[in-house]
Amino acid sequence: MDHRNSEEATLVRRVQAGDELAFRELVERFQAKVFSIIFGILRNHNDAEDIAQQVFSKVYFSIRNFDFRSSLLTWIYKITVNECYDYLRKKRVRRLVYESDFSQEESQRMEASDPAVDPSQPVDTRLAQRDLALKLLSKVSEEDRSLILLKEVEGHSVEELAQMTGMNENTIKVKLFRTRQKLLKAAQRLGRGRMTSK
Amino acid sequence: MMHRIIRDHLEEVLTGLGSAPEHPAAKHLMDCEECREAVAALGEQAAILRQWRIAPGELAEIEPRSGFYARVLDRIEAQRGSAWTLFFDSLFARRIAMASLALALLLGAYVISSERISSPEIALVGGSAQSTLVSGQVSDLTGDLPVGDLIDYGQPRVVTGTPDQDAVLVNLVTYREQ
Repeated sequence: MDHRNSEEATLVRRVQAGDELAFRELVERFQAKVFSIIFGILRNHNDAEDIAQQVFSKVYFSIRNFDFRSSLLTWIYKITVNECYDYLRKKRVRRLVYESDFSQEESQRMEASDPAVDPSQPVDTRLAQRDLALKLLSKVSEEDRSLILLKEVEGHSVEELAQMTGMNENTIKVKLFRTRQKLLKAAQRLGRGRMTSK
Repeated sequence: MMHRIIRDHLEEVLTGLGSAPEHPAAKHLMDCEECREAVAALGEQAAILRQWRIAPGELAEIEPRSGFYARVLDRIEAQRGSAWTLFFDSLFARRIAMASLALALLLGAYVISSERISSPEIALVGGSAQSTLVSGQVSDLTGDLPVGDLIDYGQPRVVTGTPDQDAVLVNLVTYREQ
């Protein structure tokens, strides 16, 4: 898919040319998505705004380097995930989500509403799994990390990923396979044969 | 080791599309325990990552507060004024800083080790009972030869009274005459 001739590309070119209104349009178009990515990874309301501001600041300063090889969403997604990891690095957070970050109400809602989760699992088990998954994802490259999150968290198909990234489907499959293998090996090195914290 | 047929259809298998009984991957999984185990481990991994999905009920909560764009502009303005901050925030800059630090440590270690190699000779010579200050020796031999010149040219500061001493002094006098 050619990302140079889309309506999105026109918006990007306007931003690259210094059009402030176009940048505002870009922010308003992607802000909800950026917030949901950040919250999905960190589950922390307090710092989501700060990280989101930093994401759009990076977008503003780096958009001249955007080369249309991938979709704008893919590019922003990668910046957002990187900013989340940068946040974790700066804060030297070993455990991402502390139980104290959750109110009882939040915990109960998490139990009840998370669509992809086995509700029979207690919250602390899931927090430990989330923590482990974050650590393992820090062991793979930025590109691989974004790709597997786009696949598993955002739910994109291989075909969609190929369109979004400009790579062919086989390349996507190979990259996903290698990333999954790396994650398993990293889990083994951490003493967990699997990613579950049994 | 996962068999090729599963590797080729892994994404379908993990999303459930490859589990229909007529699917070649499903047939293989029925017979191959090794692949079944590998797929189960990867399936657990995928399930954990899917926990990061946002539930529809949570979307309203994570909407940015009003005035978000204005705050983004404020941040851009603040960062525009401090390009160095942006630079030092980047991974590339951190790597440069680490490389510079490593280089400085290496150079420091080299300087210290080379000084240690040369200093025992001086200590040995300096420890000799016959050693005297250069200023006294040179003044005797050359009369008006300024001591500062000797030191500035990196010549030995002490002499020992051995035949080498004479050779050094002859060299110094020759140098002065030139």
